[in-house]
Amino acid sequence: MRYIQRHSAFARGLHWIHTIACLSLFATGLILFIPSVAAAVGTATVQGARMVHRVMAVIFIVAPIASMIISPKGFVHLWKSLFFKWDADDKEFMKKFFPYLLFGAKQHMPPQKINKSGQGAVDGVLIFASVFIALTGVVLWWPEFFGGPTSGLFQWSLALHSGLMILIGIIMLAHIYLGAGIFQPYKGSGKLMFGNGRVTESDALYHWGHWAKDELKKGDNVIVE
Amino acid sequence: MAETAIMYDSSKCTACKGCQVACKQWNQLPSPLSSELFEYTESFQSPRDLSSNTWLIINFSEEDKEIGIDWNFMRNSCFHCTDAACEMACPVGAISHKDNGAVVIDQDKCIGCRYCVASCPFDVPRWDEAKNKTFKCWQCFDRTSAGREPACVSTCPTDALQFGDRAEMLGLARERVSELKAAGFNKAEIYGENELGGLHTIVVAHRGLEAHGLIRDPKIGLTEFWQFLKPLGAIGAGATVLGLGFSYFMARDYKRGEYSYDEATDTVSVKEVE
Repeated sequence: MRYIQRHSAFARGLHWIHTIACLSLFATGLILFIPSVAAAVGTATVQGARMVHRVMAVIFIVAPIASMIISPKGFVHLWKSLFFKWDADDKEFMKKFFPYLLFGAKQHMPPQKINKSGQGAVDGVLIFASVFIALTGVVLWWPEFFGGPTSGLFQWSLALHSGLMILIGIIMLAHIYLGAGIFQPYKGSGKLMFGNGRVTESDALYHWGHWAKDELKKGDNVIVE
Repeated sequence: MAETAIMYDSSKCTACKGCQVACKQWNQLPSPLSSELFEYTESFQSPRDLSSNTWLIINFSEEDKEIGIDWNFMRNSCFHCTDAACEMACPVGAISHKDNGAVVIDQDKCIGCRYCVASCPFDVPRWDEAKNKTFKCWQCFDRTSAGREPACVSTCPTDALQFGDRAEMLGLARERVSELKAAGFNKAEIYGENELGGLHTIVVAHRGLEAHGLIRDPKIGLTEFWQFLKPLGAIGAGATVLGLGFSYFMARDYKRGEYSYDEATDTVSVKEVE
């Protein structure tokens, strides 16, 4: 049986760290977002959640920046894999994706590069939203440096931080559904980031046809067991 | 408990600051020791601003005239809005309305996030860094709930401050505005009747709202917008979960073929799986 090593241990480690940070930020953020939840858990828990939120925010910001410094090539590789010019297959994939997702995957999907066109588009939105939620979070944490809590910047940051949390939350729901392989045709995908980072030849050809063929031809990342 | 209100009549106020002292005394608020609150500004106003330990001040807007000065005083404290932005913004439900309309902060629940500070259109709530909590006037709810007047009202020597049933206070304010207009104060008007759903501090501004530093038609602004995000977020998340649930149901029996690739012939073959 042939496998392709799709994700390095470094990438998987970073994904683990960011998963923990994201989920913690989301859970602690929700406590502050829904007053009835805050009232139910009590003031001490809310204050604890705020502290956890801040610690996790530091991890959320520092981890990707550190990874860029530690592995600049990996960062460039990731960037190129997400932001590329769409060819006919990429456009067709996007056209067929929602019927595929919603109506039992009856569609035949066109082969894809290392990342699917839709994956690149959503990850682009996610990165953009993450940068802005981090920036607005910094304003909310230290308003003194940005004109104080009565400044327009603070008020906008508060509104944007909440709006971006909703956007990221909804994207994360879909990301978990597909990435963890809850969606039947994506079964087994969870191992890619949370397991050994390997994908079987069959899965690779099904999901990323162009990339799988290139990798199988090159053979550098192919493991036979 | 009936809706109550404080009525402040700027034309009767002599800015004796007795109300400021009474507020501090009753609520046991120490005077600030830092000099910045008393910095010389050529104004008789003192202190310069509200703080976590100063919940009420009389603002001085001294207007130079050809002869003398127009003293445009204004009571600067919480207006106890019906549509209170601070209450909307508080993420932990620490700010609430009492039955009589007073807006109070429950200090046991306050987490010092300063969202109320950011949202108040009148810049009233003040954060205490050492305590990490926010403070503001609570209309002496301990006194009013026992049938007494707020401390500031009880000490006013000129009856510039009155307290009672809100409708009654509005009646007095209307009467006073008529008197002032008859006396030549043509710009005299009432503040608080309809602003932000109706305030629980009614003001008779004898030289007009602007002269007394009052915001004409105050708005809640962004606070209302991001509160709107909460139901929107719930609908968005709910719709996503439903959509994904539907997707899961439709794809539950999906069987994927076994794919393999032959590099020599550059062909992908699919073996159907039972």
